[in-house]
Amino acid sequence: MLNFIQVLFDAAALGSLYALVALAIGLVFGIMRLINFAQGDYLTIGAYALVVPTASVTPPLLFGALPWPLMVAGVLATCIIVALLTERIAFRPLRNANPATLLISSFAVSYFLQHALMLVHTGRPKSIAMGSSLAQAIDIFGVRIPGVQLVTMTVTVSLLIGFVILLKKTAIGIQMRAAAENFQMARLLGVRANKVIAFGFALSGFLAGIVSLLLVAQTGTLDIKMGIMPVIFAFFATVIGGMGSLAGAALGGFLVGVTSVLLQAYLPPDLRAFRDAGVFALVILVLLVRPKGLIPSSASRERV
Amino acid sequence: MVLRLLKQAWPVLGLLLPLAVIVLLADQFGSISVERSVTEALIKIVTVVGLYIFIGNSGVVSFGHVSFMAIAAYATAWQTCCSALKPITMSGLPDFLRSHTYPVLPAGISAAILASIAAFVFGLILMRLSGIAASISTLAALFILNVVYSNWDKVTMGTASIVGLPTYVTPWLAFAVAGLAMVIAYLFQISSWGLALRATREDEVAARASGISVYWMRLAAFTLSGLVMGMAGVLHAHFLGTISVDTFFLSLTFITLTMLVVGGMRSLSGAVLGVVVISFVTDILRRMESGVSVSGQEIAIPAGSQEVVLAVVMLLVLIFRRDGLTKGREFAWPFARRQSISETKHGDA
Amino acid sequence: MLAQDGGLHARDVHVAFGGLKALKGVDLKLRQGEVLGLIGPNGAGKTTMVNVLTGFQAATTGDVTLDGRSLKGLGPRNVARAGVARSFQAARLFRDLTVRQNLEVAAIGSGKKRKEARAKADALLDWIGCADKAAMLAGSLPYGDERRVGIARALALSPKFVLLDEPASGMNDQECDELMLLIAGIPDKFACGVLLIEHNMQVVMGACRRVHVLDNGKSLAEGTPAEMRANDEVRRAYLGSKNTGSQVI
Ligand SMILES: Nc1ncnc2c1ncn2[C@@H]1O[C@H](COP(=O)(O)OP(=O)(O)OP(=O)(O)O)[C@@H](O)[C@H]1O
Ligand SMILES: [Mg+2]
Repeated sequence: MLNFIQVLFDAAALGSLYALVALAIGLVFGIMRLINFAQGDYLTIGAYALVVPTASVTPPLLFGALPWPLMVAGVLATCIIVALLTERIAFRPLRNANPATLLISSFAVSYFLQHALMLVHTGRPKSIAMGSSLAQAIDIFGVRIPGVQLVTMTVTVSLLIGFVILLKKTAIGIQMRAAAENFQMARLLGVRANKVIAFGFALSGFLAGIVSLLLVAQTGTLDIKMGIMPVIFAFFATVIGGMGSLAGAALGGFLVGVTSVLLQAYLPPDLRAFRDAGVFALVILVLLVRPKGLIPSSASRERV
Repeated sequence: MVLRLLKQAWPVLGLLLPLAVIVLLADQFGSISVERSVTEALIKIVTVVGLYIFIGNSGVVSFGHVSFMAIAAYATAWQTCCSALKPITMSGLPDFLRSHTYPVLPAGISAAILASIAAFVFGLILMRLSGIAASISTLAALFILNVVYSNWDKVTMGTASIVGLPTYVTPWLAFAVAGLAMVIAYLFQISSWGLALRATREDEVAARASGISVYWMRLAAFTLSGLVMGMAGVLHAHFLGTISVDTFFLSLTFITLTMLVVGGMRSLSGAVLGVVVISFVTDILRRMESGVSVSGQEIAIPAGSQEVVLAVVMLLVLIFRRDGLTKGREFAWPFARRQSISETKHGDA
Repeated sequence: MLAQDGGLHARDVHVAFGGLKALKGVDLKLRQGEVLGLIGPNGAGKTTMVNVLTGFQAATTGDVTLDGRSLKGLGPRNVARAGVARSFQAARLFRDLTVRQNLEVAAIGSGKKRKEARAKADALLDWIGCADKAAMLAGSLPYGDERRVGIARALALSPKFVLLDEPASGMNDQECDELMLLIAGIPDKFACGVLLIEHNMQVVMGACRRVHVLDNGKSLAEGTPAEMRANDEVRRAYLGSKNTGSQVI
């Protein structure tokens, strides 16, 4: 029983982390029909900003050496700047391209960022001693919850709530939702495309920064490929959630994360290595039943 | 009559002739390393033509196609390699594979067919999805296959390499298979199914209203491209003599997509030209990474520059010449008096 | 049975998009061999009606039958193969295919072999006067040709009924006249009933014997063009609307 509760906590923590990544992907997809592969690289770059570029596997700290509020600010700023730069340099010239072209271009941007980062930091995984105070487990009614997980859940839940408020109540949020529903119409109604899109990218950079900090706090390692799996899971999350639907993306992210943890916990040991394949197969099965996703957005249907 | 046939076949012949000249030159005068580069490029042509059959005609990007290469590569390895070690290293294989070795030709053919069956099965599900969702889901296929083959230790040796495959791929063999792939692609694109699929690429709604089944047309192309990817996988395996699952993953996906995009993904000529251009560029970069001497001084660009440069090339092409070098056109019949480009397009002549 | 209920028949069709009721109980009957006009102000629900008839839009309630057989649940593709073809308000040609290929695709879609499909395409191109443009890319056609190729593509399916959504929009007067003659000739030449949606009353008057008026999702009236002109309700519906309105009718 206790074990089960612990698994549930794991599931909720990972689920909410994926929900954040999926939200970022869904946000940008909504406003410009772009599935952004580079989202994963924003978070990798954010994580690497903690250390000084060297070939060492235990590199000296850069932002990681700062007091934590400054460190957080530094990582977030890095991610936001990178996200905005990719928007300005690569995606803006392609804004009216079809979704297939956009998809390929984001694949290219991602490949570029990943290998540029590799040129700077080398491809070796690195370890980083950080947030050790978070690693201690806290005892709640006999269930031992690692502090990192509590932090993760607190942060993601408050961010999700913050997002709902931002999107529902603020002017820019409402404009973003309008743009996600029907971009052409939103433009006609005076929504400024550049501003909304840039804001969307800034938000996705912000989310990448948060996720990268949480990931590093959990694992204590840096890896050039650390962004790939979260972003792939988030892709599937947005697809099974219903492309273009933000609530769907968050829900999808949560489900994908939860499924992944449950499979890890309850698959027979010799099948555990196949866990991710199981998650992906489930994704495909969900799509078989609901090709338009769990919460189809009205924008996903083309008017004839 | 002969002229007409020649004209009809020009989009393929016009590509094959220069390639034949290159192969001939490499074969006669080139060093071993040039010969290998040329063979590698020809295998890439098979790969990218395989991608093109689906992506070019349907307009749906697929990230999963190299999986079908992997399926075929492993299938041919199981049949042809290392009879002595197989029972130990791949003990999970069924008996007809574990304790027998088959001739390379039937092995290669059956491996490619297996790849196309796999493509058909995945396609049954994936092609039901709308374009972008389908693209993302092809990634699922890629990852599923990667995870399975990386962990199915008793059958695939996990992430370790299988070595000791017979290496029978010469430049001329690779050329012949590339030619075959191009003929398959071309015949498909001028067939009624190819035409119907191109219509769905241009306008899905109008294609439906014209009685076309988007699902079946895409599925047909997906299956056929799976076959050609399988051919590429077989060549790849028997050229290197060794395979490992991680060669068939995101990097190969990226390189081959870059080739397709740079050449122009809406024409067969684009697919082939893209391979030639990008292979040339990467070859030079690779040589520069390992160091070249310029006026007596040894200089080398940092390892990994190759990928960065490729990504930049791809982005520049996407931004400034979205339809690729060929702009999505086939090579026009060069001896026409006054013919519009469109006349030779997609073999409509 | 067949004789009684031949034709394309929509009964009590309702369509709601969320709260918006685009069609509220429309009955429409299109007979073999006639050109029926379907008119109404912008937003009246004409295109929605075409979508319902061609399987692009499921009716919330109501039914569509073709020669007595229900089309319920058939998607656009199967409706097209059953014999109901359409053109689009925005031509939606296959831009990167040649003009001839555009028609060939539809002929192939109706089940023809390649050779027959090509013959069909060429015959239709002759008929619309675009034979010389057969090898051009459809995306490079001038506007008027684009619209006509759109009509020809629908006819390439050899349909029993063809539904044309504003084929004359954006054409000049002379082009409109030519188009009117073409459309009026469809029933005899192709043994095919026509539903013509059009704002240009000149064209409607010239091509149709009977006109059905939609307003705000409801059938307002049906009769000869002259009767519709004289009908007060119809006048009011048109005058009430902003853009098209008085100068056309
Ligand atoms: N897919 C859809 N989703 C929501 N509303 C729709 C949809 N399609 C049509 N509508 C609405 O239904 C109403 C009827 O539209 P419809 O296009 O059928 O009018 P129409 O008579 O063809 O007008 P027009 O003359 O401008 O072409 C309009 O208010 C329109 O905005
Ligand atoms: Mg309309």
